[in-house]
Amino acid sequence: MIPSRTSHSSSIGPGVVPRGADPAYDEEVKREYDLRKNIPHLGKGSKGRPFSIDPNVGVMTRTQTPYVTGTSVLAVKYKDGVLMACDTLACYGSTKRYKSIQRMKLVGKYTVVGFTGELSDFDYISTLLDELEMTDFCQDDECPRTPKEIYNYLVRVMYNRRNKFDPLWNSLVISGWDYVEKKPFLGCVGMIGQHYVDDHVATGFGNHLARPLFRESWKEEMTEQEAEKLLKSALLSCVMRDKQMMNKFQLSKITADGPGEISEPFAIDTRWGYENYVNPTKYAPGAW
Amino acid sequence: METYDAVGENNFNPSSYHGNHTKQHATWSPYDNNGGTVMAVAGEDYVICAADTRMSTGYSIMTRQYTKVDEMSPKTLMASAGFMADAATLKKLLKGRCDQYQFANNKPIGCVAFAQMLSNTLYMRRFFPYYAFNIVAGLDAEGKGAVFTYDAVGSYERTNYSCQGSGQQLIMPVLDNQLKTVSPLVLPAVSSATPLSEEEAIDLIKDCFATAGERDIYTGDAVELFVMNKDGIRKETMPLKTD
Amino acid sequence: MQDPDAFDLGGFEFSASSHNAKEGGFTSKLATKTGTTISGVIYADGVVLGADTRSTNGETVADKNCEKIHYIAPNIYCCGAGTAADTEAVTGTYYVYFSIFQLILILKGMVSSALFLHRKSTLRESRVVSAQSILKSHLFKYQGHVGAALVLGGFDIHGPQLFTVYPHGSSDCLPYATMGSGSLAAMSIFESDYKDGMSEDEAKLLVARSIRAGIFNDLGSGSNIDLCVLSRAGTKYLRNFEIPQERTYIRAEGYKFKTGTTVINKRNFQTATSTTTEPKKIL
Repeated sequence: MIPSRTSHSSSIGPGVVPRGADPAYDEEVKREYDLRKNIPHLGKGSKGRPFSIDPNVGVMTRTQTPYVTGTSVLAVKYKDGVLMACDTLACYGSTKRYKSIQRMKLVGKYTVVGFTGELSDFDYISTLLDELEMTDFCQDDECPRTPKEIYNYLVRVMYNRRNKFDPLWNSLVISGWDYVEKKPFLGCVGMIGQHYVDDHVATGFGNHLARPLFRESWKEEMTEQEAEKLLKSALLSCVMRDKQMMNKFQLSKITADGPGEISEPFAIDTRWGYENYVNPTKYAPGAW
Repeated sequence: METYDAVGENNFNPSSYHGNHTKQHATWSPYDNNGGTVMAVAGEDYVICAADTRMSTGYSIMTRQYTKVDEMSPKTLMASAGFMADAATLKKLLKGRCDQYQFANNKPIGCVAFAQMLSNTLYMRRFFPYYAFNIVAGLDAEGKGAVFTYDAVGSYERTNYSCQGSGQQLIMPVLDNQLKTVSPLVLPAVSSATPLSEEEAIDLIKDCFATAGERDIYTGDAVELFVMNKDGIRKETMPLKTD
Repeated sequence: MQDPDAFDLGGFEFSASSHNAKEGGFTSKLATKTGTTISGVIYADGVVLGADTRSTNGETVADKNCEKIHYIAPNIYCCGAGTAADTEAVTGTYYVYFSIFQLILILKGMVSSALFLHRKSTLRESRVVSAQSILKSHLFKYQGHVGAALVLGGFDIHGPQLFTVYPHGSSDCLPYATMGSGSLAAMSIFESDYKDGMSEDEAKLLVARSIRAGIFNDLGSGSNIDLCVLSRAGTKYLRNFEIPQERTYIRAEGYKFKTGTTVINKRNFQTATSTTTEPKKIL
């Protein structure tokens, strides 16, 4: 079997073998296509060979610098599920360019994926996930993909792109309810394919600012309220110290009870009235 | 052994890697070093493969519970340090090959055959290597402990003990001192397996990891020991310092 | 012959810089830069400073229990991060020993020496802003090449004061401050739990927590927690205030070697002769 060329479509751009570049491959695709006509994601508009390098272009690298980016995503497991939180900002450099971007995506019933990094790359990942979800839906076997499967899929996508020196500039957090093992799932994958699962996860700056708090207070038997409180205290320290973070957050929750929910945006209380902030050199006349 | 130069420790540059472009993308590297120490000791009728569970990048810890030792077949354990995405991919690939071997031959792959397969697999990526430093441990056809140690591009040798990863420099001299045995070239042949009993070897390994955890910042959190003998494989976990 | 332009630059000779640029820039590889977590907080009647005690050299731990809270004056202490030699040279240290006749004080370090002389001259307690001023002027003069990142705290006639001083010479006056590779971990604790007007015990526990966050989350920081409390009542240097973790395993029988483990090939005894018959008398 040869890999499908549709699912990683023209939006990959260079790095895909376009039709006509390799006649032998085209022939193979055609034969293969005839055999597998009824497979939905072998669409007609297929443009090239996935995960491969166009011999006419040579080695190309694409996203070398991110343009529009989102900052940290934080997530914690608790006894009945997983909570994930991130802000709704997409920055253009240090400009707060898009202030109402939802940075988490519900995939199927039991998984939420959040992202740090390039917005457009995540849009592309979204189309992959939609396609994956569509095929799963069409199978109609009442056996939806588990978060672990989606996590493993995304790990392969990220790692294959780094192998082509054409990374997707994202860190992804995958949270969900594993209905097979009957327990929450939480994992993280970076732009060169580095991945791990843990009880709590934070990407980007959050790894420095939020995880110390998680490691201090996280407990396996936390209630939802306790987990939410922990997550909000971590959001506070992130919004105070990460200049790319904005005080407008969304929280997602996934439990055994069914479809994951992503909350409406909310703000948290910040504190600016500390005596020594108001008048920092009150006790230090002569300081400069 | 180990002549591979650590590509991209800091700034592996994809442009210069492929020729004459000007340097402008030094920020992105396809490699990372996730630290960690792996080691194995072979005895006359047992083998122990151990690794710490810390996975880190730069100065931060990604997770404290990353298992670096995998059971590739009933007679083969494999442990890897280095870049964990490469290591995981490599193991995934090899596990698939082990399954194929099982289907084709109706028996699980032995550790000696597996060791050669790993070497071949690593060398296939000679010019874009898997940045993984591996140890294979298993029981050979006679039931004797065997340890195979590799560099990143597939050079390997059979030994009786080995250590790889960030704590290698700290642990290896201790193993040399405690376990060095008769040369395999001596005639008449003398068993070169370590003279220690299984319990003594476990004791030594635990002490090695505790020591490496004291002085190597990338080693810590916990150590997992996989002990293989004629009764099968059992796992022991011991906490290490988490700082 | 040297570049004649060099004379126009007031006697300095810069030809090495173009050579260095060609070689890809000059980098000093001699100095030990150590990963660190240091922090400080102002409470109701004073300041608490804190530091971890790990000193690293690349990926290995050079010292498991070093001191990073340096002496400046009896009422002023300073935590140092960055290049170890620079933090030690710009701040200070002292030790006292007894000779037969008198107590001798040895004082080292730039600011502590300067403030010591200033105290002897003015007969007044040193002020925190003096230390801050000397430090930042010195660091600015060296344009970041003196790689000291400091958290300076003290209590003087004006009350408790806390500063951060960066290697380039800028400084901040803050209610809570962190520095070093573990600064973000430590700061996350302050950002979630700092309060105005804490008691001494609250402040000590908060600083200890912030250092612990650095120890357990930043690989450059580790081992134990040192604290220093500076208030009207005086200074308390709490060395190893907390030892959060001990080694988890020690081999019971240790590493003992039988006599004869090292084979002796040859023995050679020789009688040592001395040229002086009487030991010299030292005055």
